Amino acid sequence: MSRFIILLLAVLLTLPAATSFAAPTIEELQKQIADIVEELDDLSDRLEAPERHSALDRISFTGDFRNTVDSLHYQDVTWNPGIKVDYDDFGAKAMDPLNSAGFNTQLSDAGGNLLTNADGTPLTPLSKMMIANPSLAAAFMAGDLSGVGPFAMSAGPRTSDINNDLMYTTRLRLNMKADIAKNMNFDGRLTMYKAWGDSSGSRVFDSWDAFAMDGTSSGRPSGDLIHVERAFFNWKDIAGSDFYLSIGRRPSTYGPPTNYRENEMRGGTPSGHLVNFNFDGLTIGYHIGKLTGIEGQTIRFCYGQGFESEYGNGTLFNDDITANLEDTHLGGFNIDVYNNGSTLVQATLFRAQDVVDGFTGVFAFPAQYATLFAPTMNADLQKFPNMNFNVRYTPSTVIGNINLLALGVTHEYDSGFTWFGSVGMTQLESNGQAGMFGGMGNDAVFEAQLSADGSEIIMMPARAEDDDTQNGYGVYVGMQMPAPMGKFGLEYNYGSEYWTPFTQAQDDLLGSKLATRGHVFEAYYIFDINPRAFIKVGGLYYDYEYTGSGSPVGKPIKIADIENGSAYSLLPVIDTAWDAYAKITMKF
Amino acid sequence: MNWKSLLLIGLILTAFTATSVLAIDGGNSRKGKHLYKKNCKVCHNAGGEGGELTPMTKTMSQWDRYFKKKTAKHPGDVFKNLKEKDQKDINQFLYDNAADSEHPATCG
Repeated sequence: MSRFIILLLAVLLTLPAATSFAAPTIEELQKQIADIVEELDDLSDRLEAPERHSALDRISFTGDFRNTVDSLHYQDVTWNPGIKVDYDDFGAKAMDPLNSAGFNTQLSDAGGNLLTNADGTPLTPLSKMMIANPSLAAAFMAGDLSGVGPFAMSAGPRTSDINNDLMYTTRLRLNMKADIAKNMNFDGRLTMYKAWGDSSGSRVFDSWDAFAMDGTSSGRPSGDLIHVERAFFNWKDIAGSDFYLSIGRRPSTYGPPTNYRENEMRGGTPSGHLVNFNFDGLTIGYHIGKLTGIEGQTIRFCYGQGFESEYGNGTLFNDDITANLEDTHLGGFNIDVYNNGSTLVQATLFRAQDVVDGFTGVFAFPAQYATLFAPTMNADLQKFPNMNFNVRYTPSTVIGNINLLALGVTHEYDSGFTWFGSVGMTQLESNGQAGMFGGMGNDAVFEAQLSADGSEIIMMPARAEDDDTQNGYGVYVGMQMPAPMGKFGLEYNYGSEYWTPFTQAQDDLLGSKLATRGHVFEAYYIFDINPRAFIKVGGLYYDYEYTGSGSPVGKPIKIADIENGSAYSLLPVIDTAWDAYAKITMKF
Repeated sequence: MNWKSLLLIGLILTAFTATSVLAIDGGNSRKGKHLYKKNCKVCHNAGGEGGELTPMTKTMSQWDRYFKKKTAKHPGDVFKNLKEKDQKDINQFLYDNAADSEHPATCG
């Protein structure tokens, strides 16, 4: 090939030489040819490296890198722990005659000597409990306790404002793509999201956001570990049809319309108003638009598993701990009703079957819970006030099912102005069962029982308050418009009392704004530095109306009732909060 | 809000002022999409006279190079009849949707 080019060049250079008086000499031509040959050799050498690189490097990486400073402010954070107790059951057990076994058995020391209280009365599990809870004792003696009622676990609500003036985080995302065949490819994303100065990987359990679990591993600051947020293959045009199959860890985060506030293209398949959660599963899709003639119309059936009930949960011991668990399965449809690149109409609907009372996860055990539930352990833990042991939480029981539905519309004008709106509904179907933190949308009813050694009365969750089905509703609207040097955006969302979407992996530090049972306002300005870098400044304001945002476990309670002490919550609750943030993001 | 927060906001605003001079001035990708459909897809479709051509056919830099150096060699008068601004919009659309550009991150 090189010889042909050289010959051709020689002929072309020789032709004008024969017809022009200013033609170069033979020596000059020979020098030019020698220069060209040298240049070709150089080019050939330089091409070898990229050719080898493209042949061997079968996976291509892109990514983005974000550094953020947040100023977080919480108003009226209240903790008023308490539980609901079946006092009829308690009363029946408390009426056992002395030493007839049960709550009124007089305790003895190691030598077999019977113990007494300071006033000389027999020391029994019941008397210990009454002395430790004088208000309970007074109410019990007055006959005021019957049915299911609250059992306060502190002297009263403790309320304060909390300010975290500056908090820095870094998020690194590496996107992977590889072609397997003409109609088959692999996609993946590796994510590190960390708070500056913390790589412990666990947080003290003061909210459900502090619970490190599979579905939110990439959306909550969790140290310098790289998490696999996505890893799936696409097998398109199966047998020449418009069907495709995709299996693996799903692209189920940052879906529309949440991508506008992220300043990126559609970040995931399902509605971001309803789902922002890592799921493992599969999708069977069909580009039905070619049949209906409606642009971009695609129907996807999705299936996944959100909780594995046996493997890894100590099943081989064959104890009761896993007896009430089942795998949690999810199934539903993600439908692009219309998608022409400017307008997207999207419907997402699915069902989570056999949902348990919390996922498998890890957190640092709060010493406050030892105070409430484990006096023996608490006695020792008081010597280590700044230490928390890491806990692996395993759910205890299936509490019901969840149905979810959202319909959203986004529209982008040629001018760059964009608006969107989405409405959603979630339905909590309780089965009447409950774990420590409650049942599906309702509270646990605790029953008093003796500890294994018979020395004290402990409260254990026995059932849920009811098996009612509860509906929740959510609305999410927003706009984005061109502005000097970038874009300006406004967003608002509202969630009702029982609104319970799967958006816990949304990476807002105050918690997923779209899971909020209450109102959230956001305003932001995006400054485009260049096509691959931008700065975003903005603010978020949360006004919580009910407790339990982002969790199906437990009954939502009015925040005001917790604050005035008429209701209780095992976790602290927030009344209002705001976050002023600045982020700089680079894509590469 | 304490002095540290105010200092931070001040620094950020300073950074904006400094970086604003770097802000981009590209074409309108959305307008470019309409212009592309109207002017290019007529011939560049499957079985079309110009052969199938999509934004994914080239990389971002290849599209930029094409619009910088090769539009004059395009057969016919299509580029001669397009205003410079329209060409820039089409270039931006093809650049934004090129093989190595950011794409919607969905399955399938």
